[in-house]
Amino acid sequence: MNKERNIQKIGLINLVIMLIVPLVGAFVSQMTGSMTGLAAAIFFGIGTLVCAVTVFQMRLESREEAERLEFEELKSRPDATNLFQTDGEDSLDAKRSREQFERFFIPSFTTILVILMGGAAWFLNNAIQKAEVINGGTAIIALGFYAMLFLTLFLLGKYSTTLALLEGQRLLRPGGSYMMLGALLSMASAAVEAAVSLKFGKVDLIVSRVLLGVLIFVAIELSIGLIFEIYRPRIRGQRARLLYESRLVGLLGQPGGIISTVSQALDYQFGFKVSETWFYKAMEKAFVWIVLLQLGALFVSSMFVIVRPHEQALLERSGSPVGGVLTPGFHLKAPWPIDKVYRYNPKELQKINVGFVPPEDEQSQRVLLWTKQHNEEEFHMLVANADMTEDLDSESGEKVKRVPVNLLTVSIPVHFVIEDLEQWVYNHSDGPKLLEEIAYRETVRRLVNVDIQSVMAEGRAATADDLKNRIQKKADDAKMGIRVVFVGLQDVHPPMGGGEDGGVAAAYEGVNNASQGKETRALQAMEYRHTLVPGAHAEAKQTLENAEAYKYRVMAEAASLAAQFTNQMAAYKAAPNVFKERAHLKTVSKAMSKTRKYVITAGNTEDSVVLNLEEKIDQGLLGIDVKTPEEEKAEREKNKKP
Amino acid sequence: MNKKNPLTLVTAGLLVLIFLFLLLTFQVRKTDIAIVTQLGRHHKTISEPGFNFRIPWPIQKIYKFDNRVRAMDRKLEQTNTKDDFSILATIYIGWKIADPKMYMERFEDGNDQAAESALENLMRNAKNSIIGQHPLSALVSADESTLKFDQVEQEMLDMIKTPAAEEYGIEIVMLGIKQLGLPESTTQAVFERMIQERTALGSKIQAEGQRRASEIRAEADRLRQEIIAKAQAEARLIEGKADAEAAKSYKVFEENPELAILILRLNALEEALSERATLILDQGAEPLNLLQSSGSGN
Repeated sequence: MNKERNIQKIGLINLVIMLIVPLVGAFVSQMTGSMTGLAAAIFFGIGTLVCAVTVFQMRLESREEAERLEFEELKSRPDATNLFQTDGEDSLDAKRSREQFERFFIPSFTTILVILMGGAAWFLNNAIQKAEVINGGTAIIALGFYAMLFLTLFLLGKYSTTLALLEGQRLLRPGGSYMMLGALLSMASAAVEAAVSLKFGKVDLIVSRVLLGVLIFVAIELSIGLIFEIYRPRIRGQRARLLYESRLVGLLGQPGGIISTVSQALDYQFGFKVSETWFYKAMEKAFVWIVLLQLGALFVSSMFVIVRPHEQALLERSGSPVGGVLTPGFHLKAPWPIDKVYRYNPKELQKINVGFVPPEDEQSQRVLLWTKQHNEEEFHMLVANADMTEDLDSESGEKVKRVPVNLLTVSIPVHFVIEDLEQWVYNHSDGPKLLEEIAYRETVRRLVNVDIQSVMAEGRAATADDLKNRIQKKADDAKMGIRVVFVGLQDVHPPMGGGEDGGVAAAYEGVNNASQGKETRALQAMEYRHTLVPGAHAEAKQTLENAEAYKYRVMAEAASLAAQFTNQMAAYKAAPNVFKERAHLKTVSKAMSKTRKYVITAGNTEDSVVLNLEEKIDQGLLGIDVKTPEEEKAEREKNKKP
Repeated sequence: MNKKNPLTLVTAGLLVLIFLFLLLTFQVRKTDIAIVTQLGRHHKTISEPGFNFRIPWPIQKIYKFDNRVRAMDRKLEQTNTKDDFSILATIYIGWKIADPKMYMERFEDGNDQAAESALENLMRNAKNSIIGQHPLSALVSADESTLKFDQVEQEMLDMIKTPAAEEYGIEIVMLGIKQLGLPESTTQAVFERMIQERTALGSKIQAEGQRRASEIRAEADRLRQEIIAKAQAEARLIEGKADAEAAKSYKVFEENPELAILILRLNALEEALSERATLILDQGAEPLNLLQSSGSGN
């Protein structure tokens, strides 16, 4: 019983200390802005939770032990009833409570712990992303805090983990491990603060990222432990493993126990003593040799290099280039760290983009239109306009040329390969960036001196060629060691800005439409012409034909009348009066035969004769009801009224 | 029991050797330049690549800097040209460390960010000053004789180069105008002007189309009238000739004009009464008078 009380006492002390430590850690990290300090504070907080649960579990186990002893005592009394003679252990409350705790609470707590770790990792990652490199303003004060935390956690942690090795003290181990890890993190945080005070602020970010990785690994480890717990063989009497206890935390807190941790883990997982098998023991003995052998192999492998077919490499001896460029194949070299090889892939086509940022999925676009944005980002380039205007300077009175600039959207991919690897590597720290600067400069230089219409149409190919030559020349001047393979004005068009429906680009389409309209109108006029002129020719022909007909008719008529008269002359000479009378009567009778005739007899001369000479006209066009303009107007007004 | 494991001794010896090697030596790559300080003071500058010995920290401390040309640019910035045109411009430079000792002294043990920040000040000053000395046509012009783009860049470079070398230990290897642009409101105005240009051009093209169509139609009308007028003239000529020819035949009527006139009158009468005529005659008219005499006879 004393032992249990002692454990509980230590556990409680640990818990109290661990309640204070995260607060101190959070305060210091807040004060310094250190991400390492923040990560350490998160680990401290997790340790506090683990310590709290272990204290609770200690209490349960202590109650169970007390109950068991009481039960044993009652059972050993001579007056014990049958109740104690039988298997009455099932009725022990404390035992059942402990079992329930292990069965339900611990997995639940571990799950919550994993979720909390995930949330903490997300929070820490965000904080690191936003963090800036810190200076060493409060580093010395923080150093003092961390030294104090290290001392406290190390002493208590070491005491707890050492005690935990004893039988029945295992519950001190999880909290102790976190305290030992806390001591390590305090030391790391102190080292980071020292580095920060020496102006190595970036160390903070590097270490905090490492700790973020550790946090994620611990969360993954606990998750895997939860899953494996389902399939673990249950052995009667064997205590369940503490699911919330992290082997990784134990390992980091006490690196010396790596082998024992591995063997314990294997034993626990397989359900038998793997660590007692001959294979495991042989491996344990040969472990150092194996590691040394591997290190030796690694060292020997650093004495040669195989350059792959598409690669070239630079060999440096103590930092100084030797042997020029290593071509594909096998090459001997001095071992690391004397000789170092840097591999490159110079023949690979590299690409930079001028004037645009391509979309992530370029292949998804089937049709590229000026009026629809087809790049992730497009920049407007200033372009000259050949139509220059002149203003008078108000002060000097001199003519000043003003340039009505235009804006153009251009997408220019530049492809290049490395021709001289040594120049590429040794002359510039960031070749692609420098080439991008040069390419932008040359593009701007070319566009400011070329008319917009020219660069969009007939001068496009010439512009691309000129750009390629300019970029190559500049790159050669800068000794970049590259060859420009291709420069293309793949996309040159007026910008979309200036309106909702495609802006300037749409206005350019409007001109195309106007051109088409112009052609359409001309063609319509031509159609009119083609209809009208042949019609006129037909009409003229008709007129001429009528004239010809008239000519024929008049001449024929005259000839026939003359011939008829000649014949009638003969008859007239023979009997002049009879001929005249006969001709007169014949004509009258012939003419009168077709006419309507009214013959009025002269009786009473005072009578008035009324004749209705109104003719009955055929119904046809004359029967149409034609309205006067006044009548039409009146009818329209009538129709307008509802 | 006290016998030491030779493997442990060898391993420990190796580790010690590696540790000492790392502690007492350092390498300078061809891409780097190194400064060695001893007890906080500048001891030497190593610009040649190779293997070097050192006294361990904290007595000696090694600072390494990139010895290659680095490119930097900064964001677009609004500035004015000589002719009061507001534009956006950004320039880039290629720079490298020329005097490592001065560079380290000036920029917090060679802090590149601090160096680039100082260079940015120089760049902005040079860019805005030089652009302000030139009209816009020196930067943007289709006329090569007006354009002074390269000259503007050279002036900026000249302005930066000397102070960078003498005061910061930095050599400016190259300088160029990376981008030119217009402020947002001006950009919108240029867009509107460009749209108006195109609209005007479209209207012009449409008007030209209208004019061309009108020309074609007028020409067609003229042609029609010409063709018809010509035909009518020809027709009149033909008809005239026909009348003249017909008149020749009428000479025969001169042999007996009285008879000819009678016949012509009778023909005219017959023709006049040929269509839908109504005659109102009294009973004395020839030959209807025959009706009267026979009636009275009865």
